[in-house]
Formats: sequence, structure tokens, C-alpha cells
Amino acid sequence: MTECSFFFDASRCSGCMACVVACQDQNDFVTGDTVAFRHVSQHEEGVYPEARITSRSFSCQHCADGPCLLACPMQAISRRPEDGTVLVNRDICVGCRSCELACPVGAPKFPEDGKMAKCDLCYVRRDHGMKPACVRTCPTGALDYGSIEEMSEKMREKASIRMLKGSTRSSEEVD
Amino acid sequence: MGSRSTLSQEKLLQAKIPGEATGIEIKKTLCAICDCRCGIDAYVKDGLLLKVEGSEKNPVNKGKLCAKGNANRQWIYSTERIQTPLLRTGERGDGVFAPISWGEALERISSRLLKIKDESGPESVAFFAGFPKVMRPFLKRMAHTFGSPNYCTESSTCILGADLAGILNFGYATGPASGAELNSARCIITWGTNPFHSAAPQAITYLDALERGAKLIDVGPLKSPMSDKADIHLRLRPGTSGALALGMAHVIIEEGLYDREFVDRWTLGFEEYRAYARQFAPAVAEQVTGVPKEQIIAAARLYATIKPAAIVTSSSTTTQHTNGVQNHRAVLALIGLTGNFDRPGGNHIVPATHELQATGLSHRGHEFEQARPWEEMAARIGQEEHPVWSKLTSQAQAMALPQQIQSGKPYPIRAVLGFGLNHRMWAGSDFMRESLGKLDFFVNTELFLTDSAKMANIVLPACTSFERNELLITPSRFAFWTEPVIAPVGESRPDIDIIVELAKRLTPEDELISQGHEACLDWIIAPAGVTVEELRKHPGGCPLTGCPETGYEKYQEEGFPTPSGKMEFTSLILKEAGMDPLPVYRESRLSPVSEPELAKPYPLILTTGSGLPMYDRSRTSCVPWLKQLRPDPMVEINPLDAHARGIEPKQWVELSTTRGALRARANITEYVPPGVVNMSHNFPAADVNELIDPNYRDPISGYPGFKSLLCEVKESQVQAEYS
Repeated sequence: MTECSFFFDASRCSGCMACVVACQDQNDFVTGDTVAFRHVSQHEEGVYPEARITSRSFSCQHCADGPCLLACPMQAISRRPEDGTVLVNRDICVGCRSCELACPVGAPKFPEDGKMAKCDLCYVRRDHGMKPACVRTCPTGALDYGSIEEMSEKMREKASIRMLKGSTRSSEEVD
Repeated sequence: MGSRSTLSQEKLLQAKIPGEATGIEIKKTLCAICDCRCGIDAYVKDGLLLKVEGSEKNPVNKGKLCAKGNANRQWIYSTERIQTPLLRTGERGDGVFAPISWGEALERISSRLLKIKDESGPESVAFFAGFPKVMRPFLKRMAHTFGSPNYCTESSTCILGADLAGILNFGYATGPASGAELNSARCIITWGTNPFHSAAPQAITYLDALERGAKLIDVGPLKSPMSDKADIHLRLRPGTSGALALGMAHVIIEEGLYDREFVDRWTLGFEEYRAYARQFAPAVAEQVTGVPKEQIIAAARLYATIKPAAIVTSSSTTTQHTNGVQNHRAVLALIGLTGNFDRPGGNHIVPATHELQATGLSHRGHEFEQARPWEEMAARIGQEEHPVWSKLTSQAQAMALPQQIQSGKPYPIRAVLGFGLNHRMWAGSDFMRESLGKLDFFVNTELFLTDSAKMANIVLPACTSFERNELLITPSRFAFWTEPVIAPVGESRPDIDIIVELAKRLTPEDELISQGHEACLDWIIAPAGVTVEELRKHPGGCPLTGCPETGYEKYQEEGFPTPSGKMEFTSLILKEAGMDPLPVYRESRLSPVSEPELAKPYPLILTTGSGLPMYDRSRTSCVPWLKQLRPDPMVEINPLDAHARGIEPKQWVELSTTRGALRARANITEYVPPGVVNMSHNFPAADVNELIDPNYRDPISGYPGFKSLLCEVKESQVQAEYS
């Protein structure tokens, strides 16, 4: 199994929320209470003139230890053997919301029918060579997806470039 | 991949996988919710739009879309779309209409407008174009052929003010972003613009530039992803861009960092400009703008010493002030001063071709639009108050329309034929709404029954870009002719087709327009060697090759197209109009400095209309996916100011100015600096433009001072949501 995951580069996220709406356009839960499997939150730290505002896009992390999976009394949640994607079988789900309590990131959603719905990492799209809808649309390239090895490599590379750039930047610092 | 064959057709359909198994086709179109006009892959099955995605080969968005673009399906299929032409049967404004046929609607409109023309002259009919922009050349042509000079647009508050400043300084309309060449600039100033939220798919260009090592200076009162990434953020008080630019100019000149050769050979009025800038030494500029003088000096040195350097301007944030054009002139002057004008990696001037797109291609757009010379028509709306606007732009100033409707001076305006007219765009929007009510006849063409449409005698249903043909030629010379990807919703029609049908009745002598959309486009773009038929062969668009590129430093051969033939620090056009020839700084008419007494009851500075990622003004306010991201009207206020007023997060507050008050939730945030309050335009029932006087305008452009005035915020008596 090649385990897959999302990759999120916080330094690139602008809080534009394109990922949230792309998720809704991909997954048809058009109800009065519309459901997206992603949400974007903003975080402020410090005070004027030093304040910083950062944004983060969250969704199901498809955790390796799968707390939702363990919590489900109906065994409606499973890991896809090919890539570890955590999926819910809505035919079995009884809407008891145990998974909601177990999930550390608030990923399980409950549309009008009361059954759990969550990010499936667009596995059908991936099987057809397409990226997950949120990754595909992310305007700044903050979101990506791939095997855990691939994504760690990408993260390592980004971090080292940032460090190198950082040192260049401080030597050119304007006074 | 083992599971691929085992996936049921139902699963494939649910995942919207295109192909034979599902019958889902990908068709190419573009998004026209805002003016970026990103390329779209429309997933269509049995004539129904299932999903959108950005087109990867489209150079505008390179496969990406913003929140609004991703919501196209819900916008297009909104239950609030107008299905048929409507005839008002109730009182103005209460929204009671009866459906009528297109034949009846067109007949009623044309006979009424021709009658009004007969009785009061063609100038008593005004023609207005809001969004989208594709129909503009057609509407302008019809207006002038009809005999009316009063063709006006949404650009009465948008890009043209910045263009005016460019024309006054350089003789060129500098256009969106002032031609900043981001791919090669080594230093970038973003002045009052946040593309991460207003043009998200294009913002990656800035991230790439930063990764390349470009320096970034961000200017603006609000925090944004841009300001967080900047080497220097000049967080000025709203309305003081002119003083900041003059302060930077002072440093650049006195430290000898300016381009002497360019200034000596190619500019007019440098000594006066230099003497004037002396009044804005860094300590003085700090006092006016609130930006620490060390930062002003550092930014000036950085911008003037790194070559090439480009300034990215906004279409409106610097010009929507009572001293807007002069402030913007002061900003643009820095480009000439440092020798970055029309040079690679600096600000490159590329003339607009079609609908203001800077392509530099030859075309007959002006001949097409200006069907009758100005001299053969009456004075334009706003011409008396804003003579420079009328001299330098080719439209009437719509901001003066309500006043003329109400006063009947210098002549009555009896009818308005509107396409996407929204009164909420006007300062004192309630006054504009009231003025619409005084017209003898008002037609609006719209997607939704907006509060403006409710004022109309007849409402015509328009199509979205997915339901029509559209031509786009981008600045990178990517040409794109779209075919409809779904059938029109209800009986809606493309704006241009509606204009063509009306022109057949109103201006039957115009043979060209009566041949329709494609024939007219062919006539306009013929000099570029392009035809619609040829473009049709390339669904999704194609690069135009073989047309000469727009060169750099065009002034070397042609001089500057200004009265003096030079870049004018002292504008001869302004001098002739009896105005200050220098880019002088004046306080906003409503500021703590210009009105200290008024600032006692209204101590906060109100700035309005900054872009939110999920809204383009109130245009997408009926889309649930977007509305849930920000369901209530919100006033941004700094924690310091909120605390001083005992205001709690999310509490309903009253925002008031000398003109009125509204209710919104407090969004307590560092997004705004202390002393500044921001309000955006997403929520029609809490319309901040009602709080701004309709005459609070820049005398040069006629633009309202939307972005700096005085206000106060306090806890509201009513703590309930809007019903």
C-alpha cells in the first residue's frame, strides 16, 4: 500500500476559500445547510503594528490511526487498501455521531439525511488521473496531494529553500 | 488502480468523471463573474452543467479558480434568475411584475425611447453598462447612433480614474496594474491592491516573483496576504497615498537616486515637482500618512536602486478619494522619476484593444464605438462639473446622473436603458434609487431581480457567459471565442443580442450592428488579421502569432502623447482647466485633519469596498455556497477601538457617518489598523454607500471618496439578525 495524504503549505495559503467551494461543486450536497468537506480558518497573533494574520485549510487528514474508524460501532468507516484513504459507507452509517466525537479535526459532516459524509480524497477522480477538486483549484498551490514519501520530500525541499532564502534575505536586509 | 474496473457507473457519475461511461463532456467557456475572465472547463451532461474547473491551458488562470469561479453552477442555476422579460405591474420598487414576450418587450422599449427622443431630444435618454463588459462597444455605438452622448458605465468609479492620472502624466491610459511586468521586475510595489482576494488565480505570479528573489513593498492600510509577505509594508492612513508618494519622491530626488537622464530629456516641470516634494520630507510625510519615516526612506531607496522595478496599482483604491486622481498621479510620477516607465521589468505601456484589454493589437474599436463625433451631440452628463473627465474619457460620468435626473439641469434625463445597472454602486445609493424612481422610463437588463431592477418599467433577462458567445483577447495575446456550453436559462438572452435587436428598432440606419455580434467583431478586429470564424476552430483558445509586439520606450521615437510631448510632472491639461498642474496632496474632505470638529463625534476613518474572496460587490450575494462563508454584513474594527467602545466580537453594532447609519456585526480584527474601520459590499440590506454623500467626489474624475471619510461605531440597540 502506498499511503496518500494531503500536503498543505501554510506559507502559501491566502484564505481565499476556493478549496471550500470547489469541494462543494464536486460533492453534491446542495441543501439549505450546505456542506463542504473543507473549511478555512484564520488565525491572528500579535497586536498592531506587529500583528500577523494566517489562514489554514482543513479537511479529513485520513489519519493512520483512524480514531473515527475505531469509534464507529457499525464498522461503516474503513481504510481503502490501495492508498489508506479513510472512507465511510453511508449505506451502513446510522448517524450516531460517534465519529464526530472521536475526530480531532471536525471532519465528519452530517447533511440532511443525518448520515455521516466526509472527504474521500476524491479517490474516484484520482483513479482516473485527476487531482482532488480542492488541490486542483488551489490558486496559490498551498494544497497538494500525493504519497506520504513524495509529500515529505516536497516539504523537506521547501523548508531547505526557505532556510537558504532566509539567510540571503537577512544579509540584504534594508535598514 | 485495481478498483477502476469495479467502480459502478453510479460512482463514476457521482464523482463526475468525464468520458463515454458517464456521458459527461468537458466544454470550454469562461467565467464572467468578475473581470479576470478565467478559462473554465464546464462538465456538462445532457445539457446540464454538473461542475466547473479552471482550464489548465488558459494563460489567465492556468487551471485555477477562486471561490466565486467555483460557484458558477450555483450562480447560473440560482432560483432567483429572471426567466422572461418582465413588465412592472406594481409600484416602483415592490417587485411586482408580469411576464411578457420578447417581441412585446422590445416593441414597448423602442417605441417609448423613440417617443422620448422626439419630445425631448436623444440626449434625454441615457445608456448604462454595468457588468459584464463585453456588451459595452455595442451599447456605446447604439447610444451615439441614436444621438445621445450619454453612454456611461461602471467605469465611472473604476479603472478610468487611474487611467486619467496616467493620461495626465504620460499621455497614456496606464490600464489595470499600470502594465507592471511582474515576471522580470526585481522590486515590486503593490499599491493598494490585494490580488490574493480580488484576482486569486493570478496571485501566484507574486509568490513566484518572491521565490525568484524579488523584493516586495506593499502599500495600504489593510493587512493582506500581500502585506504579510512584503519586505516592507507601508501601512498608511486611508487617503494619503499622494503624501506618501511625494515623501518617497523627496528621498529619491534629494539622495540623487532618480534617473537624471530620463528626467532631463523627457519630463516637464521637474523643478516645480522637486520644490513641492520638499514639503514632504520624511518626518512630515510620517505625520500625514502615519507611516514611520524610517520605512518611507527604506522603501524609497529600495524602489529607486533596484532595477528594474514595477509599481502595481489598483483600479480604484487610490482614486476613490476626494483627491484621488492627484494622489494617483503622485504614485505614477515615481515610475518616471526612477526611469522605470515603459522599460522591461518596469511599467510597460501596452495600448488597449477590445474592452480595455491591453494587447497592443491594431483594431477599429474606437471607430466602431464612436459612431457620432462628440461635437454633434449635447454636453455629456457631468461634463460641466468634471471637464477633465469629459475631455479625456469617451463616456459620460455616471456619478453625476442622479443629480441631473433630479435637477433637470442642464437638460432633463427622462429615460435610462440599463444593462446590469445597480444603484448600490453610487455614493448615496438611496439617492440614486430615488432618482431612478423619477425617470419616465427605466429598463434594466439583469440576471437577478435586484433592488435596482425592481425600479424598472421593463426588466430583460440576460444570460451568463456559459450561455453565450464571447470574445476574449488577453494581454498575453491569447484569443478565445466561446460557444455556449449550456442552453440559456429560461428565455434569457445574451446582452449583445439584446442590443442588436434594440438597435434594429432604435437605429435602423446602422447596417453594421444589425448584422449581429460576430459581424461587428470581425469588423473591429479585422486590422489585427483575426476573424471569429478562425478562432472558432480553436475551442479553448489559441495564442495569436505573427502580430508585431508592443515595443518599449516608445517615447524615444514618438515622444509622449501629452501636450508638451514629455512626461508632465506639471500637467498642461490641468493647468488649462484651472486646476493644480502638480500632483498636489490634499486631505480627504472628510478627515480628522480637514474636519477636526466633525472628527469629535466621528473619530474613526471609514474605508469601504475592499474585496472579499467570496463576493464581488453584491453580485454573488444570492449564491448559498458563497453566502455561508460570510453570512452577515460585517464592520472590521481594530481590537483597540473595539475595546475602547466596549464592543464584543460578532456583536451587532451601528456604523454611522454624517449622512446615516447601518447595522452590522463587529469583526474585531488586526486586518484594519487602529483608527480605521472597513466595510465591504456583500450585503445589500446593509449598504455602506448609503452612508456617503452623493456629492463627496473628486473634482477631476467625479469619483466618490468611498475609501476615506469619517465615521463612528457603537453598540447597536438591535441585536437581531437581518430577516
